Amino acid sequence: MWAGIYVFRAGALTYFSNTVRGERGMRCSVWFLVAALVGCEPSPGAQVPTVDGEPDTSSASYPVELVDAAGTKHTFEAAPRRIVSLVPSATEALLEMGVANRLVGRTDYDRVPELAGLPSVGGGLQPNLEILVSLDLDLVIRFAGESDLATAERLTALGIPHFAVQPDGIEDVLTIIGNLGRIMGASDAADSMLSEIRGVLTDVARRVAELPEPRVVYILGGDPPWVAGPGTYIDELMTVAGGKNVFDDLGPLYAPVSMEALLARELDLILLSEGLTPPSLLAHVRSAVLPGSVEIPGPGLGRAARDIAVLIHPGAFDPEPR
Amino acid sequence: MKPVTWAVLLGFIVVLVFLLSLGLGSVDLTIGEVYAALRGGGDLSDRQIVVDLRAPRAVMAILVGGGLSIAGAVFQALLRNPLAEPYILGISGGAATGAVIALALGLAASFSWALPAAAFAGALFAIVLVLRVAATADGGVDVRVLLLAGVVVGAYFTACMAFVLSISDARTVRTLVLWMMGSLAGSDWRTVGMVTLYTIPASLALVGLARPLNLLAIGEETAGFLGADVERVKRIAYVLASLLAAAGVAATGVIGFVGLIVPHAVRLMVGSDYRVLLPLSFLTGAVLLTVADIVARTALSPAEVPIGVITTLVGVPLFLLLLRRSVGAGTGIGAGTGSGA
Amino acid sequence: MPTESAGPAGAKAVTRAARVRDSSAANQTSASNGSAALGTTELSVHYPNAPKPALDSVSMTVPRGSFYAVLGPNGSGKSTLLRALLGMVPHAGGQAHVFGRPISDWHRRALAREAGVVTQSESLAFPITVRELVAMGRYPYLGALQSETTTDKEAISQAMRMCDIENLAQRFLSTLSGGEVQRTRVARALAQEPNVLLLDEPTASLDVRHEMEILELLRASADRGMTVFLITHHLDLAARFADRLLLLDRGRVAAEGEPREVLQEETLQRVYEWPISVSDDPATGLLRVTPLSTVSGSGQDSDSS
Repeated sequence: MWAGIYVFRAGALTYFSNTVRGERGMRCSVWFLVAALVGCEPSPGAQVPTVDGEPDTSSASYPVELVDAAGTKHTFEAAPRRIVSLVPSATEALLEMGVANRLVGRTDYDRVPELAGLPSVGGGLQPNLEILVSLDLDLVIRFAGESDLATAERLTALGIPHFAVQPDGIEDVLTIIGNLGRIMGASDAADSMLSEIRGVLTDVARRVAELPEPRVVYILGGDPPWVAGPGTYIDELMTVAGGKNVFDDLGPLYAPVSMEALLARELDLILLSEGLTPPSLLAHVRSAVLPGSVEIPGPGLGRAARDIAVLIHPGAFDPEPR
Repeated sequence: MKPVTWAVLLGFIVVLVFLLSLGLGSVDLTIGEVYAALRGGGDLSDRQIVVDLRAPRAVMAILVGGGLSIAGAVFQALLRNPLAEPYILGISGGAATGAVIALALGLAASFSWALPAAAFAGALFAIVLVLRVAATADGGVDVRVLLLAGVVVGAYFTACMAFVLSISDARTVRTLVLWMMGSLAGSDWRTVGMVTLYTIPASLALVGLARPLNLLAIGEETAGFLGADVERVKRIAYVLASLLAAAGVAATGVIGFVGLIVPHAVRLMVGSDYRVLLPLSFLTGAVLLTVADIVARTALSPAEVPIGVITTLVGVPLFLLLLRRSVGAGTGIGAGTGSGA
Repeated sequence: MPTESAGPAGAKAVTRAARVRDSSAANQTSASNGSAALGTTELSVHYPNAPKPALDSVSMTVPRGSFYAVLGPNGSGKSTLLRALLGMVPHAGGQAHVFGRPISDWHRRALAREAGVVTQSESLAFPITVRELVAMGRYPYLGALQSETTTDKEAISQAMRMCDIENLAQRFLSTLSGGEVQRTRVARALAQEPNVLLLDEPTASLDVRHEMEILELLRASADRGMTVFLITHHLDLAARFADRLLLLDRGRVAAEGEPREVLQEETLQRVYEWPISVSDDPATGLLRVTPLSTVSGSGQDSDSS
């Protein structure tokens, strides 16, 4: 789903007439990473793995056998020492786990300071093969996507090991974190990330469990406006946060809908993507703008779910001492 | 300058540009490293870059650039229209529709060759459809109908493609949009082999048709009076040129403008004799596309600029320059029309 | 009919008229297939969706070495006849033959070595020089990628010489005058080294001088043994240059024979639906065909027909 959104932004350039939104779209991809990382402060009391120096691999147990998201079986005899991640949510996870020093390359969409000094391999979907070859890699983390089977084949032909991940929904992200932790020998760090996320999700679920579900829509922008349908990551978050996506009958993941359709469905809350204003005809409905980071699945999903839940059920979240 | 001189010069330039293409790219390699890689020695990653990544791309650029140029020249003779180019008869629309259907159905997930195969099938479908519409009762081809049918069929397919896109997910959209702008990135030796299989025989056969194609430029009736089997020549030329364009599109996406300007540029150099025009167009197109590919790979490295963008951005000013210089000499593009009444 | 006339121009015209008659006399009895260059027997051509046939049982013969002109109003089937003779349009009935063989037996390239055609007009798709255009006449003799041989080069030069365009060889056609272009096209047909030349109104848009140049060129060729089949609108000039005439009327043969036989006032008036007077010009001794005016005051009596 993350990939869907960021590529959608790029593809949207050709469909949206409003160039301002297009520019914003490009910057959004950067935003998500920054926001997600910022939002992902470890809560006090959790184990914090070292970010510099060698990672804590005391929890490592090799050989590790895994099946990746494309169905390929992998056996890791040791932690890979030179890796590139083409999938930003995986990159995020790796950074959080403290194994950033294993990364020897980045994509154009990874603009965080820690990775700035690394050579870029281009886009995540069609990376520059020459640079990949020259980096002498132990592992490439790639999308398990329909559109990029060709890249997988070429990587195989060039003898570069690759592990496929599917970063589309909440469960996917959790799986990625778990798998990457095992591969990199940083299971402890991974597990603590997972328990933190699960903790937040459980807390949110508990708070909104008995409450009636407000009718919510998430608008990405454009004219006519594009909304998120069922099966998208944002839809998952909205559901976890105790809301009901009014467009849960949408066919494709994201689609433009007419103003009439928006007006016809009673709305309790309009969630808007970053930089947008609510449509004038719906000015009477409560609305809120979310940072672009919430659209993209990543380790920051716990925080994202909580932020959305606060908007949907403000009363359920009394300020707590932190 | 005599045609043979041009041919030798261009051949030399092709080789030069090919070698350049091996040496330039996202990763800097010295001439020594390239040479070592070609001989089987040197660093493994250097070898992989030169032999597995850059060499097939360069060969593909030569094949597709040459093929599109020949196809463009042939369509210009067939349709008697200097604005004709390989995609004018709906081939790119058909190919794009085939590609997007393969993407939307998720076929590309199961077979990596599903996309090129579907694109080729779509192109073939467009070719056959247009041919049937333009076929005359006695098995010939009415070129006025051909042009109109091609444009209309192309528009129809483009609309089909847009419809499928409008109900597809974002990843499909982006993949198709990039594909439509053309790229040689997917070139490996296997695809190069398949494209060679189409391109070389078709190009040779079309060069063999050079004389009757020359006659077509004067007029179909006159060509018939001079002894050419006009209908047969038109049909064969149409099919072969379309296959050349379809093979190119299937392998690399839509690379526009090459098939239009290269024949004209060559015409400005050596005149309209197709016995000379076709081979020189092949060589010139090969050079153009190889250079364009080098620029596409290096200009914004590590990202790749779609090659169709390069061919147009570079090709148009060059062409305008050539055009201006020729207008005065009375050898310009429009200079041939309307005379002989 | 040589007549007395005054002045050198008159003498020349007399000689010419006499020459015309002599050669036509020689050809008069050669109407059989054996010595015919072109001929049709009951030939009919029907265009699809046309109410009437374009050619209706047309029988005609072009004797070898003669200058044969085809006349008739617009739509009478002249161009169709030319194309039907060479097998370019399908026959609905009857036969056409070229040099004694039915047209269906002729291979296209072989035919192109015998018959050179100049159509009314051409539009060129791309720039081309005079020499390149004339060189295309050698197509029937050359293989796919074969280069021109000495024979070919000779034929091309000769053709250009005959049409007086040698000095224009490297010029682009778009820079030439109408007359020069037509001469180039005739040269191309001559470069085919044909035994019969077929021309469809080659002088339609040319001025007097250019028209006469071409007609005299054709006449000279005919005198040297070439068979000339000329479609034209100019009754006068046809009478003057041709050995035999064919007059078509709505797809049918109205008359065929020597100029004086064909160009009868009554026939012409019927076919052209216009009053026409035929007389001998006292100054030149040539046949003069004059359309009359239906508006009174022109000094002629007119019959409306």
